[in-house]
Formats: sequence, C-alpha cells, structure tokens
Amino acid sequence: MSRRLRQLIAPGAWGVLVLLTWEGFVRWRKIKLFLLPPPSRIWRELRENRSGILHVTSNTGTNALIGLVLGVIAGVVMALVAQRFVALRDAITPLSAALNTMPIVAIGPIFYNLFGTTSAIPRRAVVAIVVFFPIFLNVVNGLTQTEATHEELLRSYAASDASVLWKLRMPNALPFLMTGLKLAASLAVIAAIVVEYFGGLQNGLGSRVTSAMKSSATARGWAYIAGACALGIGFYSVVTAVERVAMPWRRRRSD
Amino acid sequence: MKAGGVKRIALGLSGFVAMAATWELYKAIDGKLGPWHFPAHADDASMPHLLTIGRRFLQPEVRDRPGTVLQAVISGSWYTFRVAVVGLALGAMIGLLLAVVMERFRLLERAWLPYIVLSQTVPLIALAPLISGWGGGLRIGSLHWRPWMSVAAMAAYLSFFPVAVGALRGLQSPQAHHEDLMRSYAASWGQTLWKLRLPAAVPYLIPALQLAAASSIVGAIVSEISIGAKGGVGRLILDYFQRASGDPAQVYTAFIGAALLGLVTVGLIKALEKLLMRNRAAPGLHP
Amino acid sequence: MTDVVAMSGLSKVFNPGRANQVDALLEIDLKVSAGTFVSLIGPSGCGKSTLLRVIADLTPPTGGTLSVNGKPAAQARADQDYGMAFQAAGLFDWRKVVRNVELPLELRRMGKAERRTRALAMLELVKLPDFAEHYPWELSGGMQQRVAIARALAADPPLLLMDEPFGALDEMTREHMQAELTRICAATQKTVVFVTHSIPEAVYLSDRVVVMSPRPGRIVKVVDVDLGARTDDMREQPQFFKKVTEVREALRGIGAGAPRGVDDR
Repeated sequence: MSRRLRQLIAPGAWGVLVLLTWEGFVRWRKIKLFLLPPPSRIWRELRENRSGILHVTSNTGTNALIGLVLGVIAGVVMALVAQRFVALRDAITPLSAALNTMPIVAIGPIFYNLFGTTSAIPRRAVVAIVVFFPIFLNVVNGLTQTEATHEELLRSYAASDASVLWKLRMPNALPFLMTGLKLAASLAVIAAIVVEYFGGLQNGLGSRVTSAMKSSATARGWAYIAGACALGIGFYSVVTAVERVAMPWRRRRSD
Repeated sequence: MKAGGVKRIALGLSGFVAMAATWELYKAIDGKLGPWHFPAHADDASMPHLLTIGRRFLQPEVRDRPGTVLQAVISGSWYTFRVAVVGLALGAMIGLLLAVVMERFRLLERAWLPYIVLSQTVPLIALAPLISGWGGGLRIGSLHWRPWMSVAAMAAYLSFFPVAVGALRGLQSPQAHHEDLMRSYAASWGQTLWKLRLPAAVPYLIPALQLAAASSIVGAIVSEISIGAKGGVGRLILDYFQRASGDPAQVYTAFIGAALLGLVTVGLIKALEKLLMRNRAAPGLHP
Repeated sequence: MTDVVAMSGLSKVFNPGRANQVDALLEIDLKVSAGTFVSLIGPSGCGKSTLLRVIADLTPPTGGTLSVNGKPAAQARADQDYGMAFQAAGLFDWRKVVRNVELPLELRRMGKAERRTRALAMLELVKLPDFAEHYPWELSGGMQQRVAIARALAADPPLLLMDEPFGALDEMTREHMQAELTRICAATQKTVVFVTHSIPEAVYLSDRVVVMSPRPGRIVKVVDVDLGARTDDMREQPQFFKKVTEVREALRGIGAGAPRGVDDR
C-alpha cells in the first residue's frame, strides 16, 4: 500500500503544480474570463451547478454505457462467429479494419435521418458502432492467435472443437478483449459527446458545452468539461477494475 | 502463396460488396414482410439507392452552379488532409519530445505518464467548441488564431499519445549490453540518444505513427464538425446534413469522402513503412 | 511382452509430387515394448519429431502400418492412450497449476472431486505439491516442465510421448530433470518414446537409443543400453561413456561430416 502511495506522489505533485501555475498565470496576466477561467472559478461553477451537471453527465453516461454494452456484445458475438468460419473472417476483417480507421461518429447525421432526431436511439446506435470495431478486431485476434503448443496439446487429447473454444480460445482472447474494452470505454464517451454536436436531444454534455460557449459562459462550459473528464475516467477505472477481477493470473505486474 | 493472397483480397472485397448488398436488400424488403417497418427508415429520403448516391457525386453541388459534389468533396478532403497533417506533425513532435524527456528523467516519467494515459480517457473533444470560442479574440504575438488552427490543435492532441507512448517504449528498448557498450566508449547522453536510442526506437515509432495518422484524421474531421470550421470535409457533412431533407444522397457522399480520406492516409503511412523498414528485421515478438 | 508402439514400413512424405517434396520418414520399422524407454536421436531434420507426431496422430503417415496400444493411432488418441510433453511446457497461464494438471481429466469428463484428487497425487509424484494453487508464471522453467509431465501422466496413459521436453533448460536443471524422469518412470511403469538432441541424455534415460539419419529420415542403428539403475555416479562410469561413444559413432556414420544439430553434452 505504501508503495502505491509513493507512486502517487510524483503525479500528484505535478497536478498541483499545473493547477497553481494555471491559477497564477490567469490572475497575473489578467486573462479574460471567456478565454480561460482560473481553476478556482471552474470549481465554484461546479459546486453551484452540481445537480445540473450531474444530471447532464448521467444522461450522456447512460447513452455511452448502453451503446458500449450493445457494441461489446455485438463485437464479441460477431468475433465468435467469425473465428468459426475462416471465409467469413477473411471477408469481414479487412472491412472492419478499414472502418476502424475512419471517423465513424460522422455517421451521426445519417443516423438522425434514419431514426429521427427526437429519439435516443441514434446516439446510442452510433456509440455501439464506434465500439464494435475495436472489440471485434481484438477478440478475433485473441480467439485465433493461440500458441501452437497449446493447440497440439488439445489435439493430442482428441478435444472437440467446442472444448478447444471453451478451454483455449476464449481464455486466450480475454486479455485481447480487455485491451479492446479499454479503448472502447474511452471511445464510447467521446462518441456519445460528439454525436450530440449534430443536434438531437439537448440533454447531454455535448450540447450543454456548445450552448455554454455560445452564451460566453466559459466557466460553466469548463465545468461541463470537468464532468466529461470525470465520466471518461470513471468508465476507464471500471474497465481496469473488471480487468483485475477477470484475469487474476495477470495481477503480478500491477502489484 | 500467391493464390492465397488473391483469394484473401477477393474475400476482403466481398465484404464491401456484401455490405452494399445488405443495404439494398434492407431497402427492398422493408415494409413488404407485413404491416410493420424496420426501426430505421428505409425510404429513399433516409436510405437512398447506392446508385443515386454514386450519381449524386457527378451532379452540381448547388443547383445551376458550376462545380460537382465530387469536386467539393475532394477539395474538402484535401483541405482536411492538410490540416490533419499539420496536427500530426505537431502531435508527433510533442510526443517525441515528451518521450525523450521522460526517458532522460525517471522522475518526470513517473509524474507525466499517468496524465498521458489519462489524456486518452478524457473526452477533451468537448473542448473543441470552447477553443473555437477563442475565434478572433486570441492572438499570440502577431499570429491571429484561426478556426483551422483549433482543428489542427485537436488533431495534434489526438495524435500525440500513440507517438509519446511508442517512442518511450522504443527509446527504452535497447538492451543493457548495448547501453554498456556506449558507456564503455564514454559516449555522452546526446550521442547515446542519437546513435543508439533513436535508431532503436524506429520500429516502435512506425506503428505509433500509423495510429497517430488515423487519429489525426478522425480528430480533424470530428473537430471540424464540433467547431463548424469551414473548408473541410467535416463541415461538408454538417452542411449536407442540414440540407438532407431535400437532398438525402448528398450526406452520404460527404461521409464516403471522409471514409476514403481515412483509408488513403493509412495507406500512405503503410507505404512509408515499407520504404523505411525494408532493410530491417521486424522487432521482437514481445516489444 | 506386448508392443505398445508397433510400426512397419512407415513413411511420411511432405508435399508429395511437388517441387518441394520432402521424404521425412522412409520405411521405418520400430517396435516399443511395454515398460521400455526408447529415445529417438539424430541431427535436425532427421524426422524424429515427425515420427513422434505420427505416433501421436497429430500428422498422418503416407505409408506403412502403425498401431498404438494395439489399435490404430487415431483411436489411441481418441482414447487418450498417451500423454504428451513438448519442448515448451505449454501450460495455460490462466489456470492455476493444479487446474493445468486437471485439463486432460476434464476433457474425459471426470468428476470434479475425483480429478482434483488425481491431479494432486500427480503433483505429489513430481514433487510439487506445494505449488498446486500457484499460477504457472510463479514457477521456474524446470518446475513448469515437471507440471507438464504431471499433466501428461494425469489420465494414467500407458504411453508417454516426449518431444525434447528438457531442450530449453540449463544443463544442471536438465540433469536433475533426467533423474526425476527415471524415478517417475520406474514408479509408474510407463512406456516412453523420447525425442532428444543430446547423446548423454539419450543414453542416461533409455533402454534403447534409436539413431536416425536425415533426408530421407530412416533408422541407421539401434543401440541397446543396459546399465542397471541410473544414478548420478553412473554418468561418470566407463560403461556409460562406452555407450555414449557408440551412439556418437553411429551418428558420425551418417556421413556428410559432423552431424550438425546434435548436442554432445
């Protein structure tokens, strides 16, 4: 425990230093509030608007979470199907790899077209699609990149395809799934915020940041951004915790 | 071996064909299976025929004015590409610099690395509208802040991370006996960096740059959308979206342009990798 | 005595009829009777590993006949009539040591309590009872290889197939593992087919050393080793050296200069 504490000293000190410099710089140069508010001002805004910010953050968080869960399920199921049929895998993996490098959130408008702007479906669907690709690609790799010795061993036991899947491929894919999940968790939050820029329901972080900026309430905008940051960090921490529980044999490195 | 390659490419292409076929099939059967409809509207206003989208490329962008949609999308993509390249260059430079400093000072590595990882979990894209708020209000010296610079800044933000992490790993990759060798020559820190660490980092930098390039394009397009900065393909998506009720096919043309832009960029980096790595063995299996 | 492994005229051709055709095994006749320890030795590419994989039914022969435990090799594999150990221990890093040893028993659908008891007994046999609840990464290379042997023995098959299981270990650990393996084999009365690069290892472990030549892979000589009980002292006895020399000369006799790829330790 004391080692963990000591590991926190350097980053903690750095964080405090940055905040103090920011505060000092803004006061010293008398930077206009709408350009860059000092941390103290943002903190005040956060405290005064606590419930509002919490509400908006939870709206966006819900969209991100639902999209994330759907995308992960779809990605894993698709990967399981793809590992079974080599031709299918060869057909969809390049397509997915290509789509994965694209700004998928840009389909936001298209989805508002398809599902209507007053529905929560399009933004969740966009999140799910953004999440799908890193999950699918990672899990397919995990299911197929098994060690040759392990495969031979199971063949020497005359293990069935189902046994190979359960006892070798799926546990082997778990670390890959976790890597994908870490990426996907951050992507989900980002996508959930960005789709809001296209319009639709005005109850999320993305639309509130935009409207705060339009009315030059910069400090309030920063407070919403703080909410967005907390959301991102929260998603990431949960995934890290899940990783520790799901893969007990990997604990050595972090301890 | 060769036949396998052809087969793989054929299968890979069949994925795209299948996607197109699904699109048309979905349109064809919606509403014909019973009184109900699919959750997503499949009418021509929401899902135009692929042929209509293709044809839309060749028609004028705005009625009775010169200039086709294709020209508009290409020039928008080219503009976004240039902004993204500026962002990528900036992000890569910052990333590399951070890595060199962190490699030199263990304390700074401990202090910074958590924030660098954190920076990826934090949706700072939410900052985009805020940065655009600076608009004309900001000037640094004689430099007026312009919207495209906000876009480039976001592209840089999204692309610095893979470079910083990849470069740090690469700089730390030389084995102890290599470092001992340099020490036995009484080489300075700068000499060791230049002659040992940087060359050793190249195999790590290339995949990092690939990721960074893809991220910078995504970052540029997304922040164009967020900020509404003019000139790029992101803005086209926004503009066409606003006209979508009268002209549904146009939205898709801009999206296809954005998608191809991502693909072309990754392709360029892959080609660059082939060029740079042609004389080197692949890095170890466990970098 | 019955033959646990019996083959005659066994051949294996890779890429038959193509430009890159390789005769990996040519007309192999070999019988391994119950309770004996047989080593396959030869330079790289002599087909000794291929021969082992053919016995294990991991790759099919292209000619000749083969029976394992009195039945076709495929049937023997389906019945788990042999246990196999590879050069890499090949433990599943997501399973604790004891669950690794349980793996073949799980695949035979043995009950939970029964297979736990059996696995713990196997760990006792390889002298690792205290590591049952550890993960593989907490064990040294030699210990991991002992777990792999416990796993190969778990289903109590009459036959053990070992493909250079000690190849990746350092010399000291290796000699220790050889002594352990002789002890385990004496205790369990297993029949063993063992592939190795090392002449002293083959002589120390085996009742018979089968010397093979490359391209095409065939048996050039079978050296019978009858040295009585294996002890560490035996490694320094003249009759041990005599057998080592006999095997070495058989390998030299293959021609084409020194047999590359054979470990002379």
